[in-house]
Amino acid sequence: MLSIHTEPELTALEERVLHHSRTFGRKVPEIRFFVLERLEFASLLEKDVYPTSPINIWEGKRMVHKKHAIEAGLESSMFYEVVQTGNPSYAYLNSANSPVTQASVMAHVVGHCEFSERNVLRDSNDNRTEYVMYLVRKVDRSRQQMGERDYLEYWNAVESATTLMAPNSQYNVARSVESESTIGADFKIPTKEMEKIGPKAPKVIVPVFDTLTVLLKGASEPSAFEAELRKRRRVATLSRKGYALKAPCQDVLDFLRRHAPASQAERSILDYKYVTRAPQDFVMRTQIMNEGWAMYWEKKIMLELFKERAVSGIIDYARVFSNVCRPRPYFQRNPYHLGYNLWCHIEQLYRDGKVSLDYHEEIDLEKKHAWRQKGTGDPIEAMGHLVDTVTDYEFLRRFLTPELIHELELNRIDRRTAERLGIKEQDLVSRDEHYVWLQPEPIKDEMLRFYTHFYRPRIYVIDTDFQDGGLLLFHRDDGRALRKDWIRPTLRNLNLIWKAPVALVSKDQLFAVTGNQYKSEEVKPVVFEQVVERMRRGEKPFRAS
Amino acid sequence: MNKTDVIVSSDESEGLFNEFIQDQLDEILDEVINRGDLDRLGDRGSDIIIEVDDIVPPTFVYGDDSGGGGSGGPGPGNEKGKLRFRIPFQAFMELVGQKLRLPNLVKEGEGRIKEVSYTFKTFGQVGVILDKRRTFKRALRSSVGLGTYAPEKGRVEVQVRRRDRRFKVPQRVEKPRHRAVVFYMGDISYSTYGERLEMEKRLVNFIHQWLDFNYGAGNVEHRFFVHDVDAYEVAPSDFYKVANAGGTRASIVFELVSQIAFNEYDTNSTNFYAFYFGDGEVFEDDAKRIVEILGSEMRASFNRIGVVEVKPSQFSYLNREIKRQFEKDDVVRMGTLRQRTETVEVIKSLFGERRA
Repeated sequence: MLSIHTEPELTALEERVLHHSRTFGRKVPEIRFFVLERLEFASLLEKDVYPTSPINIWEGKRMVHKKHAIEAGLESSMFYEVVQTGNPSYAYLNSANSPVTQASVMAHVVGHCEFSERNVLRDSNDNRTEYVMYLVRKVDRSRQQMGERDYLEYWNAVESATTLMAPNSQYNVARSVESESTIGADFKIPTKEMEKIGPKAPKVIVPVFDTLTVLLKGASEPSAFEAELRKRRRVATLSRKGYALKAPCQDVLDFLRRHAPASQAERSILDYKYVTRAPQDFVMRTQIMNEGWAMYWEKKIMLELFKERAVSGIIDYARVFSNVCRPRPYFQRNPYHLGYNLWCHIEQLYRDGKVSLDYHEEIDLEKKHAWRQKGTGDPIEAMGHLVDTVTDYEFLRRFLTPELIHELELNRIDRRTAERLGIKEQDLVSRDEHYVWLQPEPIKDEMLRFYTHFYRPRIYVIDTDFQDGGLLLFHRDDGRALRKDWIRPTLRNLNLIWKAPVALVSKDQLFAVTGNQYKSEEVKPVVFEQVVERMRRGEKPFRAS
Repeated sequence: MNKTDVIVSSDESEGLFNEFIQDQLDEILDEVINRGDLDRLGDRGSDIIIEVDDIVPPTFVYGDDSGGGGSGGPGPGNEKGKLRFRIPFQAFMELVGQKLRLPNLVKEGEGRIKEVSYTFKTFGQVGVILDKRRTFKRALRSSVGLGTYAPEKGRVEVQVRRRDRRFKVPQRVEKPRHRAVVFYMGDISYSTYGERLEMEKRLVNFIHQWLDFNYGAGNVEHRFFVHDVDAYEVAPSDFYKVANAGGTRASIVFELVSQIAFNEYDTNSTNFYAFYFGDGEVFEDDAKRIVEILGSEMRASFNRIGVVEVKPSQFSYLNREIKRQFEKDDVVRMGTLRQRTETVEVIKSLFGERRA
């Protein structure tokens, strides 16, 4: 792993790329570029884009597979860009790439670093990479303290919880768990003191989102006695445990790392896993905007580099660019293609003044179609505002139209796949000898649905005192069943972390692991909204009998 | 943070995974050894495919209870919840040898036959194959010294002079090559079918593999002979097929093998092995003749002679007779294969160290 400053050609390219990014008004944190060998690159990806990681069998397994795949020619070792955002950000270049590819990677990374810094979900911390390297050292010490066997057992248990992460959910720890540090939130803090604490003071937001419910709540307001009783109970729980659940918590791993009884060594493993995996949530929620933004600025910067002849090979670049941005069907989302084209489309909308009240209120379709009015503001600034304020869900909801879906060929699938999927004739808008084009209207809804569950089961912690100190998890039913043979080992692993019984309610079944015993029983199903309401009222969210 | 001294590597984690696979492999070998489950050895000389259950951290996921997906293929792969590994035949047989504590076979004829190959380990100023890397390195060094290559002064010429040229020089490498011939002798008069045939096949398969492993597949000749009242050579594929319900005379097959060994091969440079399989039900004079052939003709020139009674009966007499003469012998070994699980014991008695 070498700093690019050991290579004059790359250093010069970096200087030009950063120069043009500044000229375009991009505000990026410090970016440190490094050059990696082929296998170093593959290894970095397996370490969640950090240069070091604690020893673990899963990384080993993936690397063995990857090495074999690369050596057998089954997988390309050409990785174009890998960046760990933060301040400073660390970007890694593959030593096997040509100068034009290296330049495009640098230009691409500029977009990512800016996006992560600006976006409403902000995936950027000071010294993030350095902090993770510190955590790795902590985990290495933990390994010595725990002994090899216990360390591996605990690590593997934590692996089971890594998919149970939702740091940006409306039911994350900050919003669902009341801890001793947030107990004062019920009291009004005097303004002056508030100013002293500043905007970083923890906010407790009770997740009630239904306006009508809030308005109607007055009718069923508990009596003063009941309110006082509930408050006393909560304070008692807080003083006993140090925390209390006030709503379901979807960020299960974060909850466990904060509140599971664990030794220092065990907690360092939980911290490491959480800190390194949490950014994946950001990636899932912003991938289209983020990759599109990076491609948009990459192209702009690259065209400048070609203009000033800082780099040659525009044909090669065009070939790579069009390959990366090739259309794919909506269910195989290509975020580069969709994101880039959406940003270009949005820029044009702003340039034509189409993001305005006048345009929306225009009823003459002919006029609307030929609408070309100079917008009031700078389109780039307006696009920046979108970066600051929305994520993929809103981005698609607002700008992805059926016409655009058709234009970008998100609805195009090859005929063989269409036959395999059993797509009917009435669902098609057109066909040729190779492809069919689906009706674009339902596609947008389907794409938006992804952001509610990300194709994963939604699991919540709903009780930490279930049947004498047990942890109760709740599977929010969306019609599909969990894979049954994985429930038991997963609960067992969570039991190892929680060190007390762990149970899961899924539909009308309760699965529980207590010590070495596993049992499943039929229960009366309860819906998520009921659970939320019961927790809001300070009641037990679920009773087995 | 000085990151230039960091090497990004997953070696430790890969080591951990490889240890896990090694443990799995040990378990499979234990299975092979304890159950005589030699089918795992696969085709002769080919790589051994090992399948172990895949490891995946369990999580709450949607789906049915069937195994995972993915494509297989050579080397480590994943097929329906299985990890597949391809182990070279040599490496696998080494492990089997270690597990069974089988010593490597003594090879004779060293120094007479050589396997010659050439490697390019040395480099000289004359030759045919130019080593471009070394030549360029020397030329660059000379050019820097002569000042023709000085980028800071705008001179970037690299002159390749005759004395900078480096050629790959082939070096002759000789490895002793050992030849071996193995005679498999089968009694077709007894009922070689069903389990009895399977047991015999397993054993022959192992012997075949073990000798190929020890001498190298290309250096071992495997010859198959059968007998009832006559003895004759058969093709390997026919060894298990021919059958006769008539009488039997085993000594003639030993005579035939002995004649072939001495007439067709150079006894000074060939390693001879012979293995006999039958139910051991032979007449007394026949058994005595076999002992005579073994003692007077074969024993002196053969590296190993094995006589295995497969599912013997109370009338089996052959090994009893041989035992009288060769009980502690290092060359002549006996084995009794009553059931499948005894395969490993028989292998040990045929190839293991003989305790004094």
